[in-house]
Amino acid sequence: MALFFVPAFIIRPFTQQSSRGLAAAMALRQAAPSLTLIAAALCLLFALLLWRSATRPRRIFLSAMLFLVVSSAVMSRLNYFEWMFHPLDSPQFEAQSASKLESGEMVLAVRYGNDARAYPIREMAYHHVLNDVIEGVPVAVTY
Amino acid sequence: MSGRALHFYLAGINNQNFLMRDKETGTWWQQITGKAIYGPLRGASLELVPADELTFGQWKAEVSNGKVLAPVPKYLKKYDSNWESEVAKLPVVISFPGTELKSRDLVVGLVIDGASRAYPWDELVKQSPVMDRVNGKPLLIAVGPDGKSLRVFSGLIDGREAEFFLKGETESEAASSRNLNPPALAAAPSPKPWVLLDTTTASEWNFQGCAISGPAQGKCLQRIPALKDYWFDWRNYHPDTTVYKR
Repeated sequence: MALFFVPAFIIRPFTQQSSRGLAAAMALRQAAPSLTLIAAALCLLFALLLWRSATRPRRIFLSAMLFLVVSSAVMSRLNYFEWMFHPLDSPQFEAQSASKLESGEMVLAVRYGNDARAYPIREMAYHHVLNDVIEGVPVAVTY
Repeated sequence: MSGRALHFYLAGINNQNFLMRDKETGTWWQQITGKAIYGPLRGASLELVPADELTFGQWKAEVSNGKVLAPVPKYLKKYDSNWESEVAKLPVVISFPGTELKSRDLVVGLVIDGASRAYPWDELVKQSPVMDRVNGKPLLIAVGPDGKSLRVFSGLIDGREAEFFLKGETESEAASSRNLNPPALAAAPSPKPWVLLDTTTASEWNFQGCAISGPAQGKCLQRIPALKDYWFDWRNYHPDTTVYKR
C-alpha cells in the first residue's frame, strides 16, 4: 500500500517537494506496478489460507486488507493526473482561416519549413502535454 | 532522443511545475527544464524548439498557410479563458523573498552563455523596445504592436551593435517617455504600423526582426529563446538570475 500511497502523498499539488522526497516518490512509483502485483498475489494467497479457520470479524478484516492491497495494485497502474487533465491523443488542426479563436488569444507558435502551427495557450494550459510531428520532427508541446 | 521518438504524458507535479514521463522508457522529465531527472534516460536533455508566444492576430499577420490546434469537443468546457487570473490566485509553495518581485509576478527569462536574467513583464510592456546586455551580448527585447506578443533578438547587425527604437519616436522622445513611464503610451493603439529603426544602418525592422527597408533590407536579427514564467519558477531553476532594472 505504501508503494502507492507514499508517492501519491509526496507528489501532491500545492505542497513543496524536496529533491530527496521527489526522488523517493519516483523510485517507489517506478517499482510499484510490479511489486504491488506481487504483494496483492501474496495477500490473496495468505487470505485464502487463513479464510477457513478465520472467525467472522477476522474475515472482514482480511477482506478489507485484501481490498486495500488490490486497490493499491490497481492505482499503481493508473495515472490519476490524467483524470484531472485529459491527454490530447490525436490532435486535429484547422486552417487558420477556419479557426474561431479571437485575435487577442495567446498561442504558442512554431514553424519548421513550410509548416507553421499555432497551439492555443488556453487549450495547452488544460492538456499540458501534446505529442505532435511537424515536418517530420517529433515534438512535445508543453505548457 | 538519440534518433528515437519519445511520447510524453502528464505524470505529476514538482513545486508547481509539472512532471512528465515518456511511454518508451518511463523516464521522468521536468517540464520547465526539459531534463530527465529520474529513470533510464536520467541526465538527458530535450532540445528546445524555437517558439514564440504571440497573439493569434499577430500570428495570422505573419503566416499565411498556418494550422491551428483545434479544440477537442468533449473538453471544450474545460478550456478556461480565465485560466491566468484563476491560477494567479492559487497558493505558491516555494518563495524567494529578497527582491521586489512577488512569487506570481510575470517575468520574461532568458539565459545567455550561462548567465540568467529576468525581465518583469509590466516593465517590458511600458518600456519596449528594451535594449540590454547580458554576459556582454547586446539584446533587443520587444513587445509587439498588440502589447502582448513577445520576441527577443540579438542586438547585432552583421556583428555590429545597434540600438533600436520605435519609429515615430525620436531617440530623445523614446528616452524621455521611458523616464516618465506613462502607461497610456503603451496602452493606446498606435496609428502608424509598428516599425523599429536602428541607429547603425537606419533601416526599418518589423516585429519578426527582419529589415523591411534601408541598407539592411532582407537581413534578420538572430532570435534568442526567452520564457514567460512566474518569478518563483524562474528563480527556482535559475538561482543566480539577475533581474532587469532600467
